[in-house]
Amino acid sequence: MADVLGPQAGAPLVDHAAEMAASAAGLTKVYGEGNTRVVALDHVDIGFEAAKLTAIMGPSGSGKSTLLHCMAGLDSVSEGQVWVGDTLISSLSDRELTLLRRERMGFVFQAFNLVPTLTAEENILLPLLLGGSEPDPEWENQVVENLQLGDRLHHRPDELSGGQQQRVAVARALMSQPDLIFADEPTGNLDSKSGQEVLGFMRRAVDEWQQTVVMVTHDPKAASFANLVVFLRDGHLVDRLPDPTADSVLDLIRTLEA
Amino acid sequence: MGAMIQLSRRNLLANPLRFALTTFSVLLGVSFVVASFVLTDGLLKTFDTIVEDANAEVDAQVRAKSEFSEVAFVQRPIDESVLDVVVAVDGVQEAQPGFDSAKIVPMTASGDPIETMGAPVLSFNWTGSALDPITLTVGEPPTGPGQFVIDEGTADREGFVVGETYEIIGKDGREPFTLVGLTRFGDENSLAGAVLVSFTLDEVQRLDGSEGLIRAISVIGEPDVEPSVLIDRLEAALPNDIEAVAGTVVVEEGQDDFGFFVTIFGNVLLAFAFVAVFVSTFIISNTFNILLGQRVRQLALLRALGASMGQVRFSAVFEALIIGLMASILGLGGGVLLAYALRGIMNSLGFGLPALELVLSVRTVVVALVVGIGVTLVASLSPARRAASVPPVAGLRAGFRFGSGEGTRRTIIAVILAVFGTAGMAYGLLGGSDNTALLLIVLGLGAVLVFVAVSMFAPLFSSPSASFLGAPLEHAPGSHITGHMARENAARNNKRTASTAAGLMIGLALVAMATVVATSLKDSFRAKLGSTLTADFVVTGPFGQDFSSALAAEIDGLAELDQVAAVRRGAIRLRGDEEAMVGTDLTVLTDLYDVNVLEGDPAAVADPQTVLVTREAADELELGLGDRLVVEFAEVGRTSLTIGAIFENDFLLAPYIIDLSGWEENFANQDDNTVAAKVAEGVDLAAAEAALAPIEESFPQLQFDDRAEYSAAVEGQVDSFLVIINVFLGLAIVIALLGITNTMALSVLERTQEIGLMRAIGMTRRQTRSMIRLEAAVVSLFGALLGVLVGLAFGWIAVLAIPDSFISRLSIPAPTLAIYVVISTVAGLIAASVPARRASRLNILDAIAQM
Repeated sequence: MADVLGPQAGAPLVDHAAEMAASAAGLTKVYGEGNTRVVALDHVDIGFEAAKLTAIMGPSGSGKSTLLHCMAGLDSVSEGQVWVGDTLISSLSDRELTLLRRERMGFVFQAFNLVPTLTAEENILLPLLLGGSEPDPEWENQVVENLQLGDRLHHRPDELSGGQQQRVAVARALMSQPDLIFADEPTGNLDSKSGQEVLGFMRRAVDEWQQTVVMVTHDPKAASFANLVVFLRDGHLVDRLPDPTADSVLDLIRTLEA
Repeated sequence: MGAMIQLSRRNLLANPLRFALTTFSVLLGVSFVVASFVLTDGLLKTFDTIVEDANAEVDAQVRAKSEFSEVAFVQRPIDESVLDVVVAVDGVQEAQPGFDSAKIVPMTASGDPIETMGAPVLSFNWTGSALDPITLTVGEPPTGPGQFVIDEGTADREGFVVGETYEIIGKDGREPFTLVGLTRFGDENSLAGAVLVSFTLDEVQRLDGSEGLIRAISVIGEPDVEPSVLIDRLEAALPNDIEAVAGTVVVEEGQDDFGFFVTIFGNVLLAFAFVAVFVSTFIISNTFNILLGQRVRQLALLRALGASMGQVRFSAVFEALIIGLMASILGLGGGVLLAYALRGIMNSLGFGLPALELVLSVRTVVVALVVGIGVTLVASLSPARRAASVPPVAGLRAGFRFGSGEGTRRTIIAVILAVFGTAGMAYGLLGGSDNTALLLIVLGLGAVLVFVAVSMFAPLFSSPSASFLGAPLEHAPGSHITGHMARENAARNNKRTASTAAGLMIGLALVAMATVVATSLKDSFRAKLGSTLTADFVVTGPFGQDFSSALAAEIDGLAELDQVAAVRRGAIRLRGDEEAMVGTDLTVLTDLYDVNVLEGDPAAVADPQTVLVTREAADELELGLGDRLVVEFAEVGRTSLTIGAIFENDFLLAPYIIDLSGWEENFANQDDNTVAAKVAEGVDLAAAEAALAPIEESFPQLQFDDRAEYSAAVEGQVDSFLVIINVFLGLAIVIALLGITNTMALSVLERTQEIGLMRAIGMTRRQTRSMIRLEAAVVSLFGALLGVLVGLAFGWIAVLAIPDSFISRLSIPAPTLAIYVVISTVAGLIAASVPARRASRLNILDAIAQM
């Protein structure tokens, strides 16, 4: 992992010495062929540091969601390699990928995060139940308490507010204590108060439980919860911003777009 | 409207698979209807042609005159001396005596009597005349004793070889005969599965035990003699009890005889076809409901853009119309293929149906269109009405769903339908009219209403039921979360679960009803047999055919058996109505059959002038013991008999019983239908069986049964009948299963996002598949159980309605019904395989992104 940053970036964007929860080398994703050929990711090298919240930002079409999907094994890779921990995932079968997602990853999507027929608790435990493993009640209590879901556990998703639904999704992601959690615009559908709450919980999970989170967002305020923001444009990594604030993120965006 | 038509077209083309599945379920129903018509029309046409060809040259037929026949479909014989009278008539060019017998059975090389699927083994006299439809294709015609020819179809099937010697069972048992040639009937190498054997006239008469008798004489007149003139001359020369009829009359009668059976067969097929159509109506309606439900946003957008409610309704109905039209047209083709396939299947079972003439009548085409389009239109009405009621704002509001139906109104309608349906069934079953066709139609309509009512009630309890039935899945080994989700999904949408299960419910209800009635029939029969038959042995012919009375004489000669009585069967006329009569030895009647004599003593009145009647018949005739009863016999006309005893139980016998001495005086047919015997005092059953063995050997076509075997044989016949019924009902179940496939496919589509999410967070493809399949299994289990419950109710009503003389008790074959339920559940699980596979192969990202 000597050169995890694309040569085009010109400067090291990732701390080489740190332990990486996931990384990619020469990651390229091409959609379509001929006239409709679109290069969503163009030889991206990147690492996501363990026990850190990394935000991926960039304008629409920059490839930020594609990067997240490829890292999470949800999308296939056209070229290059993707590791989660020591596992090279770009060559795994569907079943192996599924088990990997179940056991070593957590997911928080923008919307439609929960299975409507299951209660909040069942949704939280779903990945564990799918794996047939017994949840650790102590850990469950801790997570539920932290996310303030104690009195909502037996409700169905349609009885929960948007913020509560996203907190259930975060709880689910945390339950299996995964190597890393992928969050795709987790607060995109929330009002700003609920959004702040959810982001606060994720950051606390990173700080207190050494959880690794990778989050795609277009909201500078959301990005300010991260330890590090990386910027993508036209399928290339273009910049990084450690310990961001909403203002510093905005400034950088303005600079990049200029 | 052009725009709406465009839209409908696009909607149909948007998902060709769904379009195809929906069309297919209608198509199956239409095909079955068309096949019933094509098969019936084709067979009628073919048989008409056969009968016409067989009698093409015949100008007149001379035969016994009779108002009715004492044995169904058997022409009363005449003396062969009549031939001399006919030949002597002026203008007769050729006269051919004809004799046929159904009592002569050839044995195959392996020593077994030829068996058919119920078609007769017919023996004829060989005439070699051009009048004869039977023509020689191989070898020589039979010219003397000990020779016979057989039809090619049977020869092929049973391995008969020209020149070899085979045993033939005639009146007196087995005799060796040489096969000298093979024949055809017209252009067919067999006739509807019948075995056709020919001998010389003398031989066939001797084997039948009818020396000197013939059935009819076919006459050709000289070319310059008009047939009507010929008939007049013949009539003038013939004795009073013998008539001459035109060849055209013979053709018509023959065609009517065939037509009678073919029409019954066709109507039975048609009834099954309508069951299939009915089930497919449910499936289409369900599909339309789901499809439109999924399109709420599109419909709302249309409304917001200014489409009127009428236009939205029209677009929904128009889609149905297209599906109905497609299904009708394809169903016509499919029906013709199915008709030929059915013929092939039946022939492989040995029915030997002749080649079909393809008759696609206007009636068939019209019915196909009416059924296909009508069914889809009816099925689309309620979904279309609901689609039109989608408010324009629904497009903006997430999660709009069709209302779950006006609860109270729905319940009231369901109750009304249930009441009318039950009333209809009661009327049909209890026989408020003499018109059988009317009763059956009312019965059928009643059942239809009950089914509709049940399916309208079903949403009231489908969700809790599915949840209850799915409960065991929670504890299934492996990952129970898939089972849990399957259970939740099955209970998720009460209406969908109810209407998906409805198809299976109908199929299973009919199967369960048939099974309950058949089991009750068997048990009633066994019980009645136990309380009626006191004989130790019973001998019967194949398919209830009569056999030579020589057998009874031989058995009577055995010391090991005592009280041997032949039972003969025939028809009489009583005050204009045909009634069944039995002749037997009255001196031993009560030893062999417990008929429960109420008045008089049968053994004391065993003379030709006595008749025994049942209490019921006596009451109806308003006659008592010692009164005179005027009976009309086909052979001898009206005769007055004295009522010598009144009995109660006519099971296995008939309401009118005479002594064999009287039978000999009044009937032409002196063959036995059954021989019953009792083991002699002090002889054990095994010894009696051993004594019977040599006789059994010489009449291998007959069944020699002790009481238990006899009961088992009759029960076996009921069972085979039940299998045939259930096979035909199976088509309705196949359609119901297609409906499950369809609904599951639509549900998967509806839950794409949810499935994508679960796949993303770690559900394997295998788990996805089993989740979908288990859901289908729960829905199927619900439908099957509901069906069995309805079927039990129907069966119970039917058993109540059927007279006690047939069915006296209700028997519920619980293990069989349980097996049906298990099979249906597994079939439902398999039916969901295709949608399950699709669900497991969804692209996760596309699925999640779908909004």
